[in-house]
Amino acid sequence: MTISPFRTAIAALLVGAGLHTCPLSSARLLAHHSFAAEFDENKPVKVTGKVTTMRWSNPHAWIYVDVAGPDGKVVNWAFETAAVNSLYRAGWRKEDLPAGTVLVVDGWQARNGTPTANAYSITFPDGKRLFAGSPAGPAAAGTAPAAK
Amino acid sequence: MMSRVFAVALALAAGVAPALAQSASPPPIKRMADGKPDISGVYQADGGGANQGLEKRAATALTPGGRGVVVDPPDGLLPTQPWARAENEARRAPERGYDDPTAHCFVAGVPRSTYVPSPFQILQPPGYVVLLYERMSWRQVPLDGRAHLPDSIRLWQGDSVGHWEGDTLVIETRNLNGKTWLDELGGVVTHQEQVVERFIPVDGNNLRYEATVTDPGAYTRPWTLAMPLRRQNSELLEVACLEDDQDLKHLKDIRDAARAAAKKP
Repeated sequence: MTISPFRTAIAALLVGAGLHTCPLSSARLLAHHSFAAEFDENKPVKVTGKVTTMRWSNPHAWIYVDVAGPDGKVVNWAFETAAVNSLYRAGWRKEDLPAGTVLVVDGWQARNGTPTANAYSITFPDGKRLFAGSPAGPAAAGTAPAAK
Repeated sequence: MMSRVFAVALALAAGVAPALAQSASPPPIKRMADGKPDISGVYQADGGGANQGLEKRAATALTPGGRGVVVDPPDGLLPTQPWARAENEARRAPERGYDDPTAHCFVAGVPRSTYVPSPFQILQPPGYVVLLYERMSWRQVPLDGRAHLPDSIRLWQGDSVGHWEGDTLVIETRNLNGKTWLDELGGVVTHQEQVVERFIPVDGNNLRYEATVTDPGAYTRPWTLAMPLRRQNSELLEVACLEDDQDLKHLKDIRDAARAAAKKP
């Protein structure tokens, strides 16, 4: 029996996210541009904050999160996720992430220094992962088996 | 509410997926009334990271690894001319990310339209094969043996004509404009690029895709990439790419900053 590459990719995403060493960013899988050009591998960020809104827009969806700094000042971070269509095909709907939801987000900050980042891992405070991946993973993951 | 999200994720992990599961005995190749294969449907390329580079490479933090899709030359390395290799290297600088036409939501060209990580649909109306790419572009391929457009006409997706060789659909594309990138890393083509694509039915759910690129402006000889195409249990969705392209502004900021820095004494 041939293993579904789709299934393999999704499993890899979920397992990888749990380990926090996943070599594949869910958001990277459906990009219309180079993430390496836009974001800085040397600027990892990890924040905890409350969702203010999720923008279901093309070519990528964005999750906005209010993050309080050590000085109490609140900064609204913008986290880029996968393409809207990949979220939709994975079963997401707009109402699934209401304002006020607390999230922990790992990512890489934009090179232009703004509070903008590519979301690498999004979890709830209890460690459960917010699924934001793409069913088109095999297209970019490099792990799918060849056709029989 | 969140439990539904996890239910979806777990269902996906368990294989209850939009893509058609591949059973032990996949369905046979369907046939048109004239006996030619009916390959109509929605497909996703199993590109193995091709959109981030055609040669085999390891993953980095922000760029997935690639299994390498170049099958000729046999070593998997593109036979790139020195100037094109230098240009390819230059395009990997962050400030060049702005120059990838797909970052501007332009069409991806040929063969990249196949392996951008979005699905596409094959239609087979009488006398044509039509390729609808979810990223809001299309190619209409006549099968009547007509000649290509005059050489002076240059197009992002080129001019394609097709024919059948047995069960294989062969599409020849010329009149390309040389402005596209082969991948996000800046794979080079010139206006001399010509492509022969082969869509080879494997079974009712899978095609083998091959594309031979001949471009004496950038390569020392023709080369070929290959990858599977998997039929999807899905329809195409809208991608209004220019709606909220925040990435392009960021990429422009990076380019402008680099240019300003270069001007300083």
